[in-house]
Amino acid sequence: MTSVQLEVLLQTLISGLLLGGLYALIGIGMTLIMGVMKIINLAHGELMMVGMYIAYVLFSSFHIDPYLSIFIAAPALFLLGVLLQKFLINPVLKVEAIIPENQVILTVGIGMVLANIATIIFSSDYKTTPVDYATKAWYLSDYWKASPIELSLSMPWSVSFCVALMITAALWFFLTKTDIGKSIRATAQDKDAAMLMGVNVERMRVVTFGLGSGLVGAAGCLFIPIYYLYPDLGGQFTLIAFVITILGGLGSTVGAIVGGLILGVFESLTSTYAGMGWAPVGRFMIFVAALIFVPGGIMSLFKKKGLGK
Amino acid sequence: MKRLAVILLAVFVLSVCASSFAAAADFNLVIPLPLTGKQAKFGEMMKRSYEIAAEEINAKGGIKKNKLVLSFEDSGAKPETARAIVEKLIDTKKQPIIVGEYTSACAKAVAAVAEERKTPYLVVASADDDITQKNYKYVFRQNQVNAHYGDGVIDFIKNIVKPKTMAILYESSAFGTSGAEAMAKDAQNTGIKVLLKEKYEAGSVDFKPLLSKVKAAQPDVIYMVSYVMDASLLMKQIKELRIDAKLFAGGAAGFAIPEFIDNAKDAAEYVITATLWSPQLKYAGAKEYAEKYKKKYGDFPSYHGASAYSALYVTKDALERAKDWTPDGIRNALKATNTVTAFGPIKFEDKEGYQNQNFIDTLVLQVIKGEHETIWPEKFASKKYVYPMPSWRERR
Repeated sequence: MTSVQLEVLLQTLISGLLLGGLYALIGIGMTLIMGVMKIINLAHGELMMVGMYIAYVLFSSFHIDPYLSIFIAAPALFLLGVLLQKFLINPVLKVEAIIPENQVILTVGIGMVLANIATIIFSSDYKTTPVDYATKAWYLSDYWKASPIELSLSMPWSVSFCVALMITAALWFFLTKTDIGKSIRATAQDKDAAMLMGVNVERMRVVTFGLGSGLVGAAGCLFIPIYYLYPDLGGQFTLIAFVITILGGLGSTVGAIVGGLILGVFESLTSTYAGMGWAPVGRFMIFVAALIFVPGGIMSLFKKKGLGK
Repeated sequence: MKRLAVILLAVFVLSVCASSFAAAADFNLVIPLPLTGKQAKFGEMMKRSYEIAAEEINAKGGIKKNKLVLSFEDSGAKPETARAIVEKLIDTKKQPIIVGEYTSACAKAVAAVAEERKTPYLVVASADDDITQKNYKYVFRQNQVNAHYGDGVIDFIKNIVKPKTMAILYESSAFGTSGAEAMAKDAQNTGIKVLLKEKYEAGSVDFKPLLSKVKAAQPDVIYMVSYVMDASLLMKQIKELRIDAKLFAGGAAGFAIPEFIDNAKDAAEYVITATLWSPQLKYAGAKEYAEKYKKKYGDFPSYHGASAYSALYVTKDALERAKDWTPDGIRNALKATNTVTAFGPIKFEDKEGYQNQNFIDTLVLQVIKGEHETIWPEKFASKKYVYPMPSWRERR
């Protein structure tokens, strides 16, 4: 392997890992909701879009850095999630319906309404938050003069990646060490048993939906410095979250992280070695392969080997 | 009794004549445009430009003392709606000339109706080559055709950059594919080797894998056909990876509008792009129109607006020369057009398989100090081109 080929490969892997970390954060919110409520939240991408618009408004009106707006966007999205769950999804969950998946259809509707409200308020124009550090990067040759290859590490991408990791770690701490976190996990494992043990399942559902929304809102704030924003952007990220959820194993947080990283790296590798037009195809190949070969997701493999909890 | 009737009739006839002489009639022109839907932004720009032109024309006494009265019909960029609007205009309103529309699909539909009803149609900003290749006698086009869009860029590359190799990146749509094909063909004819020709899905987040492959291939020129957000992401990530090609060239739309510079910021510096018009052109009225537009609406118009603005002057010119204001009279006058507008010289020629086509030089813009400047052809240049450009490392 020549140094040029090595450079391409390493650069591709770096891009893939950075992208994968962000994908993971988007996926975690969905998998959390999936685990506790047993429904797929197809408004997930639209909730992220709402988070991005909050970051955009804060940046353009008050010059608040998108990364700082996490502290406003995530709680706002948590609240939005709680309201959606309490007043829209819970009532539908209680109703006996011919189609068992009517909550899923409801989430599609919520997504459409959010996208259209955004169009009315902000028009369908593209929006960005042009931050000063948008194209800053660290270069290997700046630190190691004799380096035979040149690698670059984008600053906003790396910051977004690290923040995503920090949020994930905080979430893991919350789920394993706190009382509410344990109740959420109990609800996810067995709703009836949790109820018998005195867990307020209804409230856990509300909290979980809020938490999932807050996470994806934070992901939106991490995405906007490196991407852009328009009302219909939700769909493509819902899809990515869905693929990660299936790949990682329904309801598994660790699975979502691993799934996100795998998806990111795989997409980058397809872009480099098969052509960028093939990246979406690669995404679905992974999706189908996961369904066929590891129907329980990556977590089921870990469990088999006694690694997962 | 009979005499009285004759007198009354005479008085009546006289009064009718008098009234028609005293107060000249209005000339009503209804313009079909996309004012809703995806293309609404361009439709809006063109509507404003038509209005500016009509205001100016009326302030100077109208067309042969007839006041030009404009109104607009929204086609929503749907060919069937555009067709219905124009059928109504010709059949019931008897409008002797049709001006307008934006998308090529709509313009095609309108052109077919106009030719069938033998009414002249002036195409303003629709680029599909096909429209003026169908032996239509009544269809005229004042903007350049798609096949010639990249002429200026190729000319600049050939004369100044003289590259050996090129990489072409394009979005996987009809627009991107045709642009990339045309450039690949031009490059081959010029003896430039195309090392890479890669498509991507519009709206992608991360171009770096693709770009690291481009970097490894080390092309002299990187040519990109993209809409605006992809264009700025591409340039930003090219800067991140420090890919030092001799030239970064944009194929069209995405690179030529001010939003590109706003979004890509310093990464946009020195990027060149093809375009049809710029406010810096030295045609009489170009600057005045652009200033007027900016004052009223806050931003400079692109070639779409300039073409619309000038289309009314072309119409005025034809109407003034026409023997009578019948469709055929106006058609013959349009055919003989030889005028210079804010958009450039207008002359409808039959050549290269096109009929009634106006051939205008396409321009090359370069981003210099955060502004789009016209750099090629040299006779139109507002600033001297910057070439060779500094490497990314030197730019800090």
